[in-house]
Amino acid sequence: MSTQTAAQSRRTGRFSGIWPPILIAVLFLAAWQIFVVARDIQPYLLPAPSLIVTNFFTDLSLMWAAAFYTGTTAFLGLVLGTVLGLVMALLASRFIVVNHLVTPLAAGLAAVPIIALTPILNNMFNITSRTPRVLVTMIIVLFPMFVNVTRGLLQVKPVQLELMRSMNAHPRTTLKVLRIPNAIPFFFTGLKVAAPLAVIAALVAEYFGGPQEGLGSRIASAAANTAYGRAWAYVVASIITGLIFYLVVVAVEKWTTPWTGRTRST
Amino acid sequence: MSEPVSGKQRGATRTRVQRGVISILWALAGVVLVVLMWEAVKFLGSFIELPINTSDTSMPHVWTMVDAFSNPVVRGSDTTVLQAVVSATLTSLKIALGGFTIGVTFGIVLAVIMQRFAFFERGLLPFVIASQTVPLIALAPLIVGLGNRISFGPIEWTTTYSVMFIAAYLAFFPLSVGALRGLQAPSATSLELMRSYAARPNQMLWKLRFPSSVPYLVPALKVSAAAAVVGTVVAEISTGVKGGVGRLLIEYARETTSQPAKVYVAVFGAIALGLAAAALVSALDLYLTRNLPKESQA
Amino acid sequence: MSSVQTSHQAVDVQGLWKIFNEGSNNEVTALSDINLSVKPGEFISLIGPSGCGKSTLLRVIGDLTGATRGEVFIAGETAPVAREKQLYGIAFQQAALFDWRTVRRNVELPLELQGLGKKERRERALELLELVQLSDFAEHRPWELSGGMQQRVAIARSLAVDPPLLLMDEPFGALDEMTRERMQNELLRICQETGKTIIFVTHSIPEAVYLSDRVIVMSPRPGRITHTVPIELGERNEDTRETDTFYAGVTAVREALRGRSASASPPRIEEL
Repeated sequence: MSTQTAAQSRRTGRFSGIWPPILIAVLFLAAWQIFVVARDIQPYLLPAPSLIVTNFFTDLSLMWAAAFYTGTTAFLGLVLGTVLGLVMALLASRFIVVNHLVTPLAAGLAAVPIIALTPILNNMFNITSRTPRVLVTMIIVLFPMFVNVTRGLLQVKPVQLELMRSMNAHPRTTLKVLRIPNAIPFFFTGLKVAAPLAVIAALVAEYFGGPQEGLGSRIASAAANTAYGRAWAYVVASIITGLIFYLVVVAVEKWTTPWTGRTRST
Repeated sequence: MSEPVSGKQRGATRTRVQRGVISILWALAGVVLVVLMWEAVKFLGSFIELPINTSDTSMPHVWTMVDAFSNPVVRGSDTTVLQAVVSATLTSLKIALGGFTIGVTFGIVLAVIMQRFAFFERGLLPFVIASQTVPLIALAPLIVGLGNRISFGPIEWTTTYSVMFIAAYLAFFPLSVGALRGLQAPSATSLELMRSYAARPNQMLWKLRFPSSVPYLVPALKVSAAAAVVGTVVAEISTGVKGGVGRLLIEYARETTSQPAKVYVAVFGAIALGLAAAALVSALDLYLTRNLPKESQA
Repeated sequence: MSSVQTSHQAVDVQGLWKIFNEGSNNEVTALSDINLSVKPGEFISLIGPSGCGKSTLLRVIGDLTGATRGEVFIAGETAPVAREKQLYGIAFQQAALFDWRTVRRNVELPLELQGLGKKERRERALELLELVQLSDFAEHRPWELSGGMQQRVAIARSLAVDPPLLLMDEPFGALDEMTRERMQNELLRICQETGKTIIFVTHSIPEAVYLSDRVIVMSPRPGRITHTVPIELGERNEDTRETDTFYAGVTAVREALRGRSASASPPRIEEL
């Protein structure tokens, strides 16, 4: 999961021609539209793109409000989970016991639908507040952050460690001068996984009840009210929210770590 | 040339299975730690005001949860909660595996198409990649809504198919990216070697590209399996399709006032579902990588 | 040890053993009974096939890994103390530069760890980059440089704290032949200008002969010193590699590596 992103960006770099994707998108949307109109497909099965777009723009303020609500949950969960993941990674890189305890657990949890914890958190905290959703988002974000940053802190080249030792560096100095800078690209790899996950978690957590302001609740209730065009429009808003989270992380990475993504010296 | 470093060498002499067992033992220790922390929070909560509701209804004792396994589902019923959760988990597992298989098949097909035709790679890959940064799962309530309303010839499209469809498309995207990377993994030298043998494209695919894609395929399979599980559970939750563990989560969560520990059994079921899927993929991993050099732990 | 002031050997290795996983069933004797003295200003090479322990010996001298038995002194200090006092600099086959630092700040690293002020650090680093003829690249990132240039940065870094001793572990091993010869000349020039003692690990016979005052030939299983070949090429220049003395040296080292005349010359002839 985590190693994907580096190669992905390389690949998108190699095939950066903008026309093929646009062409395919246009063809796809046109085929969709023609199919729905020609076969008179009912909106509950599949609404036409034109209907979705119309709904999106007529209810733009609703879209924005729902996206803002879910986005805020996702952001809070992302920040908390990232901070907690960093602290745990620092502990794990320093104390081998912490590493032994948490790393297999994190690997196991990667396969588990953590979102299933939501009903429990809804009971433990005030279900009418945002808190349980923020917390489940935090837990979901925590593990990819922990795994990636720990990897970055520990996977230092042996020769670089030998160099630090030859210079008689204190472990704390090695952490500051070598391990933490080394972990920064890993941190962003984790964040690129975690940021979209946060949006997904915040959205799905809404399906378990609680306040009805967010994208997830809105999609479900629009679908229940047979307003399929609007439901799909909310899906579009969710997709845009997810993309924004991802692209902001990519932008921050480009801006702060110009040395990543280049051919590495040995 | 580099001489062995003692600690590393010791790790390398352990087999993969041994390392697996050791990390499972550590994971269990981690679980014990979580249990202790849970009880500690409860204990603390009985003395001081915490932001968490530590009452027995929202945070039952661990032993109450264990007790709940053998409680009847409803008063007077013969089936225990455990039986109900196990059967629901198996139902969900079947759906998830079905979706996973479909998603993997289509993912590989798409990867082969993208590898073969540069136009499709350029045209589709940006969307496939973007799909991983996007909450596709938001579509779940809409697709589940298809249930019982359409049919393909004799096959009635049931809600179960909808859930499987969601699991499939969530599994599909990460897999196609991984498979494509794998198909493109062979080195220029290997490709030139095959070309020198006048290998046809199909031979190139079966003799070189598929075998060398394995190291990329395995992690993608893991991600896909997890995605299929999450997709299944969430699809079950978002419209309450009956029979699976997702639905039980919602149902039991409503019964916390009468049987607070019941929902935890359902949560354990969901966790077991994820672990079972991961175990199956690990078995697949062992099989697929049996001929590869055993890498020492990174 | 010998508490006679100032007359220390640059490096003194006595009865050194290094055994990995001692006592377990995959025990490996990497070094057995190594004795070696290096005079100040001397250039010696360690040569031998893979697994002969030449890199391990270098690492034990630098206290990057501990000795199992025996003692190592650098300028009269034990290896751990020498490391603490930064009595040596080291360069590896991989340049091991930090991608996130500029070339200049890579060279500054050891000085930074010593707590030197920003201004002095900078001056010293620029001075060293001039020595390795990379002044124009001070503010570049390491990955913008060729392999040979990266290795020159690594050498500059190893000289940063002005240590009397340089440990070099196949520093030119990854370079092409032409770059390698140029780098060898540069290294000799730097040695002359700075008067450092050098212990140089290499796979290449011509490299060892061209650079060294003495070539230490090692052999594996267990790693040990089998021969010491003194080289007397005098002042090196463009033509040195064509001289008979050079060829004679190459032949002598090659014969020693093949184990010929192994019976004729006993292992301990360092005093020669």
